[in-house]
Amino acid sequence: MKLTEDIAKDLMRRLRLPVPEGTAANDSVEAGALAIKLGGKVAIKALLPTGRRGKSGLVRLVDASNAETAAAEMLGRETDLGYVDRIYVEKGAQIAQELYLAFSFSDRQPMLTVSTAGGVEIEQVHATSPEQIVTISIDPLKGLRPWEAIDLWSQAGLKGRPLAQVGRLTARLWQAFVALDAEMIEINPLVIEADGNLSMVGTMIEIDDAAVGRHPELADMPSGQSANPRERLVEEANSAHPGGDARYVELDGDIGLLVAGGGAGLLQHDMIVDLGGRPANHSDISPAPGTVKTEAVLDAVFSNPRSRSLLIGYNHLQMAPVDRVVEALANSIERANIDTATFPIILRLFGPREAEARALAEKIGGLTYLPSGTSLAEGAKAIVEATRKVRAAQSEGATAL
Amino acid sequence: MSILIDKTTRVLVQGITGNQGRYDTRLALDYGVNIVAGVTPGRGGEEVEGVPVFDTVAAAVASTDATAAVLYVPVAGVCDAVTEAAEAGIRVILATTENVPRHDAARAVAAAREAGAWLVGFNTNGVISPAKCKIGGIGGDNPDALYPAGRIGVVSRSGGMSAEIAMALKSSGYGVSTAVSMGGDRTTGRSMCEYLELFENDAETDAMVIYGEPGTGNEAEVAEALRSGRLRKPVVAIVAGRFQENHPRGVSFGHVAAMIGDEADSASAKIELLAASGAEVASSLDEIGQALGRRLG
Repeated sequence: MKLTEDIAKDLMRRLRLPVPEGTAANDSVEAGALAIKLGGKVAIKALLPTGRRGKSGLVRLVDASNAETAAAEMLGRETDLGYVDRIYVEKGAQIAQELYLAFSFSDRQPMLTVSTAGGVEIEQVHATSPEQIVTISIDPLKGLRPWEAIDLWSQAGLKGRPLAQVGRLTARLWQAFVALDAEMIEINPLVIEADGNLSMVGTMIEIDDAAVGRHPELADMPSGQSANPRERLVEEANSAHPGGDARYVELDGDIGLLVAGGGAGLLQHDMIVDLGGRPANHSDISPAPGTVKTEAVLDAVFSNPRSRSLLIGYNHLQMAPVDRVVEALANSIERANIDTATFPIILRLFGPREAEARALAEKIGGLTYLPSGTSLAEGAKAIVEATRKVRAAQSEGATAL
Repeated sequence: MSILIDKTTRVLVQGITGNQGRYDTRLALDYGVNIVAGVTPGRGGEEVEGVPVFDTVAAAVASTDATAAVLYVPVAGVCDAVTEAAEAGIRVILATTENVPRHDAARAVAAAREAGAWLVGFNTNGVISPAKCKIGGIGGDNPDALYPAGRIGVVSRSGGMSAEIAMALKSSGYGVSTAVSMGGDRTTGRSMCEYLELFENDAETDAMVIYGEPGTGNEAEVAEALRSGRLRKPVVAIVAGRFQENHPRGVSFGHVAAMIGDEADSASAKIELLAASGAEVASSLDEIGQALGRRLG
């Protein structure tokens, strides 16, 4: 979860880390008033949880008296980074030097990247003068100690009085990185002001989604709910029922997918696309017992107006009983009043309690339950062909009308 | 031989008194696995399926000489459980828990490495050396049907795909020396390449099959090891998730780890890199047998 700047800086302020004075505004009048209160030069920034705003003209440094106009020009803009509905108003910094600092993760270890070339995109620095960027991995059991951070900044070319100050701040930021369960903290620029004080002018924080639950201070965060009602339905089922989450992402094709596990789902989706099929969604679901989340995904597929068919394609299950999946299917079919004669449903579902699953599928009627041992590729082929047939029949029907 | 586990492995189950722990323990005992101890704090002195339960891993190791641990522990306790097992001298630790927060995962990985233990997972369904031993739910209630013994090593970033690969191997007349579900989370105890290096030195493995996905540096490391000659045995690779490249970056379609961050993370980039480094890339499971046939003769 990427935090917007107002929230990120508020968290930092609470940890007594140096961020410039600033507040969020909902309209340009409010932004103007806040700017006048701050006085002098102010930064007007579109509140979007992303970097690269400067490039898109979404960060402007103006005199307080011009802040209202600048905010009005930004608000309501539909940009490639998102829709601007709020503004962050911040006291302008007296910049002597700009640095770059980021905590992130490699596959297995926390990483720290620093550079004395702050204030520009780090990708650009990397492309033109990679020697200006220094990166280390951090032993998570020891953490980052101030003298280690000082050593790193010294390698990056920082000298004199700021070195100790910046090094100590970096070590405190490591503690914030851990305490917030952040996946990423990027400070760009970290400003050394004319008077020698430090100020974290650019502050981006991404919190680990897997850890949000244990941070009550983040509970009232505007949750990144999907705008799609069917995706939201699945998200709501996830938050209502703890345990392995279901995923449902809508796409623009017509083949509904209930596929699992993660790997077999990816492979089947590739095969369908290779055969010229176009999935209406992707999904992933933990095969653990329980039908609520399975039903949520099925309900989403059945209520998506673009779906014309459904592939239930699971890898050969080793522990979870497969009849629970067919139970969920029976419930969702009934709820959505699906006619299996015109909405083909193909099941590739093998594993514990398969006989019971087949008996139940027989009772539902009109389903194609592939014989045991059918490969993932054959399942993909079957759904692509079945969907092609309904598509043809439906367009014929439309012509006849 | 085989890798990581064999007939001499003495298995301990952390969280043996929970539903999953109990169920998997029953199936593992049926398979002939030497499960010597269970651990659940506060339940020491009880028995589960005839297996003695201890309060701590250290106490269990002292009484039973357990060498491998399987963890059925919820997310909140998994970092501690791995650390406890590693410090008690367990050599192979299997962490089934999925979606482990990154800071916890990184700490657990570091603790295991520091103790010299081999951490499998997170988000794994197990490791099986057919006819010898298995840890975790891998193989379900009929491991013999899914995983016949043979001379092919399998390393998969997905537990389910490990089973699908084993079925494909079986249908083309091959069997498995050891199959590893290395973990579907982004952070895993060991990299794919580290498993392949174990297989490289295993006299009972002739070739390896890997399953990869978008995200993580696992496949690129394997390609590098093939190019540098550190891996000489044939490697057949299947990499899924090409379709994701038609959609915006940063969207997760499956495993959390299978998210495309940059170009090098995509399935296509990995396929290209592996093929250029001498791996046989199969585009479907049905091609694995033919690819092995070409390389093993």
